[in-house]
Amino acid sequence: MTDTAAASSPALSSGTAGSAAWRTSAAQAALILVLLGLWEIAGRTLFNPFWSSRPSLIAERIWRLALSGELWTHCSITLQEAGAGLLLGAVVGVPLGIALARAPRVAKVVEPVVMGLYGLPRVALAPLFILWFGIGLMSKIMMAFTMVVFIFMLNVMEGIRTIDPDHLDLMRSMRAGRFYLARKVLLPAVTPWILASFRIGVGLSLIGAVVGELIGANRGLGWYVEKSGGQLDTTGVFTGLVVLMILAMLANQLIGFVERRAIRWR
Amino acid sequence: MAMSQLAEKPMPAPTPEPRVRVENLRIAFPRPDAPPLEVLSGISLDVADGEFVAVVGPSGSGKSTILRAICGLLKPAGGEVRVDGRPVSDPPPEVGFMFQKDALLPWLTVTQNIRVGAELSGMSKAEQETRIPALIRLLRLDGFEDAYPKQLSGGMRQRASLGRLLAYNPSLMLMDEPFGALDYQTKIVMGRELLRIWEAERRAIIFVTHDIEEAVALADRVVVFSARPARIVADYRVDLPRPRDLRAMRGDPAFVHLTESIWSDLALPA
Ligand SMILES: Nc1ncnc2c1ncn2[C@@H]1O[C@H](COP(=O)(O)OP(=O)(O)O)[C@@H](O)[C@H]1O
Ligand SMILES: [Mg+2]
Repeated sequence: MTDTAAASSPALSSGTAGSAAWRTSAAQAALILVLLGLWEIAGRTLFNPFWSSRPSLIAERIWRLALSGELWTHCSITLQEAGAGLLLGAVVGVPLGIALARAPRVAKVVEPVVMGLYGLPRVALAPLFILWFGIGLMSKIMMAFTMVVFIFMLNVMEGIRTIDPDHLDLMRSMRAGRFYLARKVLLPAVTPWILASFRIGVGLSLIGAVVGELIGANRGLGWYVEKSGGQLDTTGVFTGLVVLMILAMLANQLIGFVERRAIRWR
Repeated sequence: MAMSQLAEKPMPAPTPEPRVRVENLRIAFPRPDAPPLEVLSGISLDVADGEFVAVVGPSGSGKSTILRAICGLLKPAGGEVRVDGRPVSDPPPEVGFMFQKDALLPWLTVTQNIRVGAELSGMSKAEQETRIPALIRLLRLDGFEDAYPKQLSGGMRQRASLGRLLAYNPSLMLMDEPFGALDYQTKIVMGRELLRIWEAERRAIIFVTHDIEEAVALADRVVVFSARPARIVADYRVDLPRPRDLRAMRGDPAFVHLTESIWSDLALPA
């Protein structure tokens, strides 16, 4: 009887897979520790820490900023800007991508304009956005938004292109309405593509927010980096960069977690 | 008033319009750098109400294509398809299509996939609650209600796909090699179930298969397609008594005779 479930039990492999994953994590942590150690030693012997600071100085600074509450303020400002820009990018980019994929003739017409805007080095828009939206949150949200909106749009268009034509014919043969089709076929099919866009978008939206803060702001991690640089405080500059890096890594973990839950059917 | 008109001018004897009338149908697919590929070049076929018609023919002869055209998924280059007397342009509500590939939605479980058919047929929520588990039992999918398609074998996927079609409950079923991925035993079991359902409700069925014995065992009529562009080379009436015993009938001389002559229509060595 060949007609049985093909689902294989993961129990056999989970032990080895688990310990392999654990070993990878250990190796990753070891690599980071070695690099930090080398940096620390170089900062104490080879270079003047004025130029490149030292992990111990950075850790101390993070601790001080955490105690004074400044760390939280700057992180939360930058996260709000990047997060709002990212969400806005998804809210605008996903429907736009679906609409353009469903209307290939319109897509042909707007394609050169979209690709032109996409190719534009959008960080150069920062001075303009500060002028238009002021030095508050809005200009940074718009920066983050312009960095990510095309990612969502182009990914979703590609996702719709990969839909099995039989699924569309199936829905048509049962006279499914537009919203039923979107709910049962289009959205689930593009969900992996939307999540991939979030993954790429996390870093880009942080870049957008930070660039905005470098140019004109009075709070946020980008502003802290800019201010520290102005005072020749390399430890402050590195502190801002390290915190940004940690935030990006945490956000990536979060998206990985959501991905594993949302597309279990794979 | 309508009555008096009827009385004054006797209507012509009502000729029952067939469920499906395919008339001189031409289907061609455009090709880059070549004239269009003519898959059907003027084919005609009628299917009466309650009739179970099997279509056999070499692969690539246009069997899937004619089903798609009857369902309104393909625009004819010429000729016409009518279902219940109405020319088909969009898929008619009474037609259900079971695809050669199972076309299950990979992000939905077995139950959810079957529910798609129920929802699109307009079945009430309350009826779904009893009907869907009944279908799952009928198709021997119990225990896999919450499994995703990738966790199923080919045969189970085809049964889930049949479940969705039955949940949609069309009065004209177009089935494209529905049992192609099943092993011999399961094929017999499913064939028996299909006949039971069909005999109870007498829907019209057009059933494409590459299995000649399956065609003869199930159908009232077997239509034999030639290689592309398809012509109908033979159209047999299967006069085997119903209800049929799918195992015992294979030794019946009439059954053997019919399958033999279809083999020779397809120009295959016996
Ligand atoms: N959408 C399509 N575009 C181009 N050619 C097609 C398309 N669908 C089917 N064909 C061609 O039409 C012919 C008949 O296909 P099909 O009806 O699927 O055959 P069958 O189901 O009898 O095996 C094949 O040569 C196939 O390549
Ligand atoms: Mg086919």
